[in-house]
Amino acid sequence: MSSSGKDMPKILVFSTEKISDPAIDMAGLLKLHYPPRVYIISLPCSSAVKPRWILKAFSEGFDGVFIAADGTDCPYGESCTDKTGAIIKQTQDMLKEKGIEPAKLRMAAICSICSEAFVKQMKNFTEYLVNQKTN
Amino acid sequence: MKNKIGVYICHCGGNISDYVDVEKVRDAVKDIEGVEISVDTMFACADSSQKQIFNDIKEKQLDGLVVASCSPKLHYPTFSAVAERAGLNKYNYVHANIREQVSWAHSDNKLGATEKAIQAVKAAIAGVKESISLEPIKIKSQKIVAVIGAGVAGMRAAKELADLGVKVYLIEREYFVGGRVAQLDYLCRVQETGKELVTRMYEAIHKHENITLFTGAEIIEKGGSIGNFKIKLKITPRYIKKDCNEDELKKAIEVCPVEVDDDFNFNITKRKAIYKNYPSEYPQKPAIDIKNCTRCGECEKVCSSIDFNQKEEILDLTVGSILTATGFDPYRPKENEFGWGLDNVVTLPQFRRIINMCDDKLIYNGKEIKEIAYIYCVGSRQVDGENKYCSRYCCTATLYTSILTHKKYKNIHAYHFNRGIRTYGKQEVIYDEVSQLGDIFLQSYEYDPATVEKQGDKTIVKVKDILTNNTEIEVEADLVVLVTGMEPRKDNSIGDVLKIPKGRDRFYNEIHMKLRPVETVIDGITIAGACQGPKNILESVNSALSAATKSYSIVNTGELALEPIIASVNEDTCTWCGLCADACPYDAIELINKNGKDIAEINKSVCKGCGMCLPVCESDSIEMSGFTNNIIENMISAYADI
Amino acid sequence: MQYQTDNNSYDALVIGAGIAGGEAALNLANLGYKVLLIDKDLTIGGKMIMLSKVFPTLDCSACITTPKVSEISRHPNIKILTSTQASNITQKSDGTFMAEITTKPRYVEIEDCTGCQLCEEACPVIVKDQYQYDLVGRKAAYIPFSIASPRAAAIDIENCTLCGACERACPTNCIDFTQTDKKITIKCNTVILATGFQLFDPTLIPRYGFGRFKNVITSMQMERQLAPTRPFNTVLRPSDGKLPDNIAYVLCTGSRDKTLGNPICSQVCCMYSTKQAQLLMGALPMADITLYYLHIRAFGKGFNEFYAQAQSMGVEFVKGKVAKITEKENGNLILRYEDINGNVVKETEHDMVVLSVGILPNVGIQELFSGINLELDEFNYVKQTDVLASPAATSINGVFVAGTASAPMDIPDSILSAGAASAEAANYIRKMSEINVSV
Repeated sequence: MSSSGKDMPKILVFSTEKISDPAIDMAGLLKLHYPPRVYIISLPCSSAVKPRWILKAFSEGFDGVFIAADGTDCPYGESCTDKTGAIIKQTQDMLKEKGIEPAKLRMAAICSICSEAFVKQMKNFTEYLVNQKTN
Repeated sequence: MKNKIGVYICHCGGNISDYVDVEKVRDAVKDIEGVEISVDTMFACADSSQKQIFNDIKEKQLDGLVVASCSPKLHYPTFSAVAERAGLNKYNYVHANIREQVSWAHSDNKLGATEKAIQAVKAAIAGVKESISLEPIKIKSQKIVAVIGAGVAGMRAAKELADLGVKVYLIEREYFVGGRVAQLDYLCRVQETGKELVTRMYEAIHKHENITLFTGAEIIEKGGSIGNFKIKLKITPRYIKKDCNEDELKKAIEVCPVEVDDDFNFNITKRKAIYKNYPSEYPQKPAIDIKNCTRCGECEKVCSSIDFNQKEEILDLTVGSILTATGFDPYRPKENEFGWGLDNVVTLPQFRRIINMCDDKLIYNGKEIKEIAYIYCVGSRQVDGENKYCSRYCCTATLYTSILTHKKYKNIHAYHFNRGIRTYGKQEVIYDEVSQLGDIFLQSYEYDPATVEKQGDKTIVKVKDILTNNTEIEVEADLVVLVTGMEPRKDNSIGDVLKIPKGRDRFYNEIHMKLRPVETVIDGITIAGACQGPKNILESVNSALSAATKSYSIVNTGELALEPIIASVNEDTCTWCGLCADACPYDAIELINKNGKDIAEINKSVCKGCGMCLPVCESDSIEMSGFTNNIIENMISAYADI
Repeated sequence: MQYQTDNNSYDALVIGAGIAGGEAALNLANLGYKVLLIDKDLTIGGKMIMLSKVFPTLDCSACITTPKVSEISRHPNIKILTSTQASNITQKSDGTFMAEITTKPRYVEIEDCTGCQLCEEACPVIVKDQYQYDLVGRKAAYIPFSIASPRAAAIDIENCTLCGACERACPTNCIDFTQTDKKITIKCNTVILATGFQLFDPTLIPRYGFGRFKNVITSMQMERQLAPTRPFNTVLRPSDGKLPDNIAYVLCTGSRDKTLGNPICSQVCCMYSTKQAQLLMGALPMADITLYYLHIRAFGKGFNEFYAQAQSMGVEFVKGKVAKITEKENGNLILRYEDINGNVVKETEHDMVVLSVGILPNVGIQELFSGINLELDEFNYVKQTDVLASPAATSINGVFVAGTASAPMDIPDSILSAGAASAEAANYIRKMSEINVSV
């Protein structure tokens, strides 16, 4: 299976300008490869993601949405992880109602040097979505 | 909607073009509606390319700019500046990262990389189309700083600010200045006492035309925000007239019949209800401790300067920044903690006062002291208690105290029950000096500390000493000195009023220990000295001067320009549920009533643009500039369109 | 030699562009003062930019330094000169200063270099890379490291064979072998010394075998192996490239040792070693890490908690002074030490040893001045003449000290001390401009 093929799943990543963006950048700098159909939109903080944006992504044909959360490094406060978690939970419930598998929305804390973690997440997520497609 | 967008795609000398077909990207986006020109360039950041972008913006009247190159962390400021120079608002420029996030990340897959680059540029174009121009939010700032706490840190910060031409309100809760350092008679490695240092600093501030000192004063309310804090100051009177007669006041102190524990001497002595802590204390007028005064009138009989008619005052002040230097409390041992409560167990601060009071012989409770046991880390590095931190100053302070006792008295034997001596940096020489004086060091681990017990009339300190193969060693001590650490102030009323967040150690928390070490998450409020964490004098003064620099930079020009990426409320659809206000970590959202309707309002000078309020709004009435539904959803659609 | 006589005039000359100098320059620039920031190195950012993560928060050092560095380098009030040193600093009777500023040739026009690295590829010369602390090689035409600022190439002229390959490869023609020393004379109101520290050279303790035993490395070399811009993408031992699984740290290497002329504690080694141990536990989950120490100086905010965390992660702390290290045939190392706990001399085997080298004062700072005496303290650090009330003040009125030039200190303390230096410098500048206006 060619990894650039049109059959590969498309993932939208919401990352954050100060924390996960640098990690994703560094993954590139270190030439740690991950599937290319991973598209990134940067926000100030992961707890600013609106559920409607996530729903929009699925309705436009994205196969998965990944929130690269600030975790405990969030420059805006310690409540970030909990708040982001609550948004994900809420959105997953909405996805369930729409008949979309809630596991197609994922979140993980990606610290500013967690490049390897990010790459691993993208590979696993892609693999999961490929399996979902073929099943 | 922008419709004259310039798109510039960088080869980065091969860093991008070796893996991404840059010409293909250029051609794939050139016909998108709204794109005026799409060009590729060897180095977008090079001077010649910057000039081309500049000229294109001017000549082709571009209303939007997309640069696709390396990470925006590197050159976002470069291209923002190009845009602004050419007269294009920088918020109409969107960056696409096609190096770190595309060419390098997918150097194993050229087709995939090229496809991703096209999508990234399309998304950037979609974002820029919906972008709107923004101007920095400008607010006026008072050229006044309130410094809270007139200890060494507060006084030093006040002097620095005043010298820089800023008006300073120096606010001290006690009736006297100097804080904890005034309680110190000898300082390590300098030829100056704590009292002399305080005197020197007081002299620098009290005649300064830019400084107003308030004693007996506390902030009881805070409103407003950076640049314009409104504070309410409660000033309790000293009950002493402005022009007073010193001799009469001395007599007044003599005749006062009330005796209370003297907090200044850590309760080892008594003082009167009309008092001064020490003769050369500043301000030089005594004060009446009205809580303990019985109003017997004895002082009034001998002194014409007493005035019980003085009333509490409330002052309203407006300041641009608040510098908090409220200091620490020494740890107070709990009952029975290392023998606390026994008549020959004292704390290190008490012991230092005792040394100051005993001239040739060290006497406590009528008994001459020869054998001294110091127990370190009392109230610090606790295994079970909540003070997990090291108090930093105490090892050096104790060792220096031991040197003093040897200098001042004969035949002193000292035993140091420690958990590893932490005389960091140059303070190491003190440790070396004490070791050569013949003091004995016994060390244990945190979980197995020394114990103190009474055996008949003897006081025995026991420890399993790891320096001698865990041998149990017993020392009979005349005096046990508990080396008590620093704790956050017990009375945190000022912290509650200012809403300064605390760390896990309960000291005030800085935003970032390295990037913004004296700032708090409340814009405009800085912290200095030991209220932020244990510090010695040098470290406190360094942080005080740093905080002064920061507070100065807030007030010095009289105007502040704040980032305009902030949230805004749609007044038509907002029905005030309060969820946004709960989500906001900065208290930037308030309930207001506008035209008879309850709605949320965002304080522009407090909002930091984190967006935490966006997803919680059930009616989707909050948008954030730069990250509006239009922008994000347009980008999602563009990305999805393959 | 090109000689420019111009009327270069600044509010402040900041010598040393590490974290302390950078912070001081930024503080002053943000207050509207014009700053000349010079560094003798090819890049700004000092030692901090080379570090991996920093204690006790474990945030990545580069992530903290790079935004600061880029803020400094694009600040309109800061002029940066790298490869540059000051000399002949004199004080005029009005309190202001004159200084000679000499920039060594880089043989690359910084403004024109885009950092494309094509010259690096073309250069045939390979030498040890000082920015990776000799762990790997670099070319004679090279960019110091990926996050260097300026991110521009430089020619190491001592090792260059003048083959011209780099010139031919350079797409912007920015390589210029005709460059020579550039000298300017500047006038400034105040001088901030942020000249930093040097690391102890462990070859001065021959019994530890550094330089002879391949698997004995310094803590800075380990720092590089753990950094995001690390040379190998993993931690490995130099003799055979294997992943180490039993690493020892020897603390106080070069500190607290009168016989080496450095009786004081370096203040950072306990914590950076503890930090590296924590990072190694993450990078090499199977590895055993042992720290041989005298006293653990975990004194700062969050430090003791950080130390406790390392203990709970399984880092072993052994109280004992390492007397001698010997090498086995397989490259493993035998540490002979006095175990204070058992009160016996023991020997243990490790497959890699990290020497936690201490901090020493930089030399030659006094020689920057001419006609005025900059006093040093008994440890050869810049003397703080009013250490409690004005920690940045030196024996020369108008010259202030920031960071480790005055004492060993960690990053947070360096930044605070830079804050103090900039406050006092700002006041001095104000005084100078008042005098000059009234005159």
